[in-house]
Amino acid sequence: MIEFKEVSKIYPGAQTPAVKDLSFEILEGEICVLVGPSGCGKTTSMRMINRLIEPSSGEILIDGEPNTKMSGTALRRKIGYAIQQIGLFPHRTIARNIATVPQLLGWDRERIRRRVDELLELVGMNPADFRDRYPSELSGGQQQRVGVARAMAADPPIMLMDEPFGAVDPITRERLQDEFLRIQENIKKTIVFVTHDIDEAVKMGDKIAILEQGGILAQFDSPENILTHPNSEFVASFVGADRVLKRLSLLRVADMRLDPADGADDLPTIDERLTVRDALSQIVGVGATGGIVERDGERQLLTIKAIEGLLKDSGSARG
Amino acid sequence: MNDVLKVFARPQFPHAVLVHVELSALALLIAVAIALPVALAVNRSSLGTAVAVNIGNIGRAVPSLALLALALPFLGFGFAPSLVALIALAIPPILINATTGLREVSKEVIDAARGMGLSGWQILRGIQLPIAAPVIFAGIRTSAVQVVASATLATFIGGGGLGDLIVEGFQKGDTPVLLAGALAVAFLAIITELLFGGLERAFTPAGLKVAQKRQKAR
Repeated sequence: MIEFKEVSKIYPGAQTPAVKDLSFEILEGEICVLVGPSGCGKTTSMRMINRLIEPSSGEILIDGEPNTKMSGTALRRKIGYAIQQIGLFPHRTIARNIATVPQLLGWDRERIRRRVDELLELVGMNPADFRDRYPSELSGGQQQRVGVARAMAADPPIMLMDEPFGAVDPITRERLQDEFLRIQENIKKTIVFVTHDIDEAVKMGDKIAILEQGGILAQFDSPENILTHPNSEFVASFVGADRVLKRLSLLRVADMRLDPADGADDLPTIDERLTVRDALSQIVGVGATGGIVERDGERQLLTIKAIEGLLKDSGSARG
Repeated sequence: MNDVLKVFARPQFPHAVLVHVELSALALLIAVAIALPVALAVNRSSLGTAVAVNIGNIGRAVPSLALLALALPFLGFGFAPSLVALIALAIPPILINATTGLREVSKEVIDAARGMGLSGWQILRGIQLPIAAPVIFAGIRTSAVQVVASATLATFIGGGGLGDLIVEGFQKGDTPVLLAGALAVAFLAIITELLFGGLERAFTPAGLKVAQKRQKAR
């Protein structure tokens, strides 16, 4: 668990604070997304957790202990770190890049070798093909995968990720996000994830902290609650006029309770793995009022009415 | 041509070569020993880097002969003043390349290294130095070739070396002696270039060579 207690940061020479009186808690095993416009202090906040930046006042507790209890380097070896520009070491092989922290921690060779291969497989890269390659030989998406694998190398309970999927095209980004969420289901790390993209925040976060200019916490809540009950003008405009649709992208068709379809052969077929938002788009796109979902050999009916019903029921489960 | 070979066979010739090599090697060694630590010391400060690069550039603008002439009134004649002048000549390229080479290691790479818990020393030794190595060695190579060539001028302040032959040939109007000196210096300079070029390649990490190749292919 990570706890911010009235943390402020004023950079030397700056008139206004970069982060102001920030207090909130990140629970164990959750992804907490820090999101906001540029200059809102989200990266500064993240970098204060592993003390790449020291706060001007306040403190950050990790599992109840101030993070100043050990040296900065010792602390950072226990916290995974991945950044948008990836920062792979160009002169080292992929294997040695991933092995950075385990080597610092003095793991033996065999253990490091096994861990590197395990991680490459985890991020969907064949170890035999990639372990001896150099970063410049990899595509952007592959480099980001290695960056994430490197951050996970020593199996740290906490990971800090600053726009880790920022430097790739939208399609690759979506795939990396999905893969990462799948991995997270098994590893259950406590993750602090920085992004400027509200869609990414909604998709990745168990909790979202929206920061506004001057490093003020505007709202801290679950994605559903932020989308249904933005607590200020700023949050409402930041999440966007399409926040209703964004809520639908949190839900999958598979999670909806549907009635059997009788007849209605002219309706489009909807894949139940789709998000409700994508399903709605498909239905509206062909000018229909509903679609057919094939589930367990049964034909079920998904209507626009049912989707509207979802939006009234704010306590709906996540997909 | 035969007469030139006869000059090479003179008993004093190996001594002249030896002095020349000794003077150059020593000057280079000391210049590296001065310039590299300075580059490492200013590494973390942009002001320090700017100052070092500017001093380097000014130093570079001073002609070699002027440096030797400057050494004369303060240090007198002989090997030592020549050495000092050559050191002053050798420092700028090494200093400029080393400071800019270390500086040009991308910020993201260093940030990632810090974020994973490498200490300042580990970042310098394991990340910055290997990545900057090709640039640093290019600076040393430039210096080395320049020093070998300029050591010829040491003869004017009594420093010895192959310059002695050239001056002797010049004064006596003895072309074979003049040629022998000039050829020997040229040969030494080429050897130096090849040697340090090889060192530069040897110290370029494999990963960077791969990156360079790919960049060229694009």
